[in-house]
Amino acid sequence: MPHTSNNRANRHTERTGHTRHTRERLAAAAMLAPSAIGVVAFMLAPLLAVAALSFTNWNLLTPPTWAGLANYASLASAGFGRSLLVTLAFSAIAIPLAIAAGLGIALLLKRGLPGSRLLQLFYVLPWIAAPLALGVVWQWVLAPSGLLNQATGASYPWLASEWTALPVIAFVYVWQNVGYISLFFLAALRAVPRSVLEAAALDGAGPIRTFFSITLPLIRPTMFFVSVTSLIASLQVFDLVYGLTGGHPGYPGGTTDVVTARIYSEAFVGLNIGRASAMAVVLTLLIVLVTAAQQRYFRSRLTYELEV
Amino acid sequence: MADFSSTLGRGREVAPEGSAGTPSGLGSGVANRGLRASAAGSVRGVGGRGRARVRGAHGQFWSALLTYLVLIAGAALTLAPLIFSLLTSLKTERELALSGPAALPASADLSNYATLFTDHQFIVPIAVTAQVVAVVTLGQMVASVLAAYAFAWLRFPGREALFWLYIATMMIPAVVTMIPLFSGLSALGWRNTFAGLVAPLVLGSPYAIFLLRENFRRVPAEVLDAAKLDGAGPLRTLWSIVLQMNRPILATLFLITVVSQWNNFMWPSVIAPAREWNVMTVATMGLQQQYSSNWTLVMAATTLSILPLIALFLLFNKQIVRSIGISAVR
Repeated sequence: MPHTSNNRANRHTERTGHTRHTRERLAAAAMLAPSAIGVVAFMLAPLLAVAALSFTNWNLLTPPTWAGLANYASLASAGFGRSLLVTLAFSAIAIPLAIAAGLGIALLLKRGLPGSRLLQLFYVLPWIAAPLALGVVWQWVLAPSGLLNQATGASYPWLASEWTALPVIAFVYVWQNVGYISLFFLAALRAVPRSVLEAAALDGAGPIRTFFSITLPLIRPTMFFVSVTSLIASLQVFDLVYGLTGGHPGYPGGTTDVVTARIYSEAFVGLNIGRASAMAVVLTLLIVLVTAAQQRYFRSRLTYELEV
Repeated sequence: MADFSSTLGRGREVAPEGSAGTPSGLGSGVANRGLRASAAGSVRGVGGRGRARVRGAHGQFWSALLTYLVLIAGAALTLAPLIFSLLTSLKTERELALSGPAALPASADLSNYATLFTDHQFIVPIAVTAQVVAVVTLGQMVASVLAAYAFAWLRFPGREALFWLYIATMMIPAVVTMIPLFSGLSALGWRNTFAGLVAPLVLGSPYAIFLLRENFRRVPAEVLDAAKLDGAGPLRTLWSIVLQMNRPILATLFLITVVSQWNNFMWPSVIAPAREWNVMTVATMGLQQQYSSNWTLVMAATTLSILPLIALFLLFNKQIVRSIGISAVR
């Protein structure tokens, strides 16, 4: 595709010279203006502002005062380290489970039995709904006198126990996103050439062997795409936790205090803008780091796979 | 890369095109080549499928049954909470206490919904949400389409650098920009206003621009060349060629934008906490915090916030599944 546009460029400069060029640049500037204003005013400027605010003390009411690195120094005592651990634990439970279940569902759906399309639709439905509303629904399911306990005759406080709260929230997260993830795997599985699978069968490979030595390597690009995007999304989980905990993330015992909830409450409940900004800066760096690491791995593998 | 993914999206048709269009892993590349040369033709010719055929109809029946059982169990687990919340919203509190959540409601009792609209004026959050979604979706679609076309087909200095800057902003978590946005827009007096709700979102989205650019680039250059020679300017070309050829992805993006704006909670909860500017998510959360024991009422509110999107999704389902298939492999 780059070739064709180059040819086009040459042809046009030959024919019409520079006026065409200028006109095209003006058109580009006009077309980019709205989104560029948006990116600068609502993404880049706030990012710089948050970095600046992280060196101040500010409660939104009186003017900010310079604080140096004090906010960063206070992060550990403010429970930020624990929030990071909670978030990482959440991702560590949710992402492998979501990928394994998503791939499993895709493998079953791929068989194309009658009715597969309808089932696929059912799996995707929770992804459409607001995480916040789903959190409220699940809070009702998991309450001590809720649906689950009524059905099983128990009365276990799933969301109020330090041991089960985070894993249960991770399970609900997987429940919501697994259908969406399976769509990506289904698309990848459908792209695996049938001839390759037939060749494997001819060579005497069973279904398990075929899956691990042929299907899995072939869908690796999708595997990485899904894991990168899911990991980044899971580091920012907020609405679902907020809904499930009735707006009080952090209970019980701080075990559900994910990073975004910590920043949110530090800023808008505690009105400690400086420290919240320092947390926001650390979260941004963490996400950039994770993305860069995965992107590197992803890219090197991807080009490797595509060499034919 | 772009051509490659579009062939993959079509699924099965890929196979005969051979290794040029398919991603071959190491070992399988060999298998692939060897097969196409010798085995594939002959196997298909005789109508056999190696050992798969040998296992016979019996094995296939049981494996199909097992597949169904697992899939249906999963689907039941997926749908159950949604169905039970819908059923609960149709019961009175007394009925819920007596019959439990799993029983069918004796009669579809709409009093919870009536209470939402009379006592809690839920028409307000529905109207506010609808307006926010309409304005933000329109703004994002227009701004993103224009930017994506410029990035895909216009030449200007710094194009690649600017595009990567846009992409990089996708990594900034919403909670990070929210603090300065809140203080900035509050200083402008935009707290509890419509402007405050839509301003940070209405001017396009880097994600949408990325998705659209990748799709716009697949329009053949020859077609655009021809339009140019006929004297069509960028806007004309964009409208009558590029957009017409990219309807499925536009439909998908429309749905994704509507869904994500309808579901947005964090920003509205901060910038517009006043009742007259509550969106659905904020109103639902407020109701839940106020009446956490009155589950029939709360489930009516969550059903109201979920059902319209599910209806919309069912309308758009085909396009979304198709375009996810295409963008997945990129």
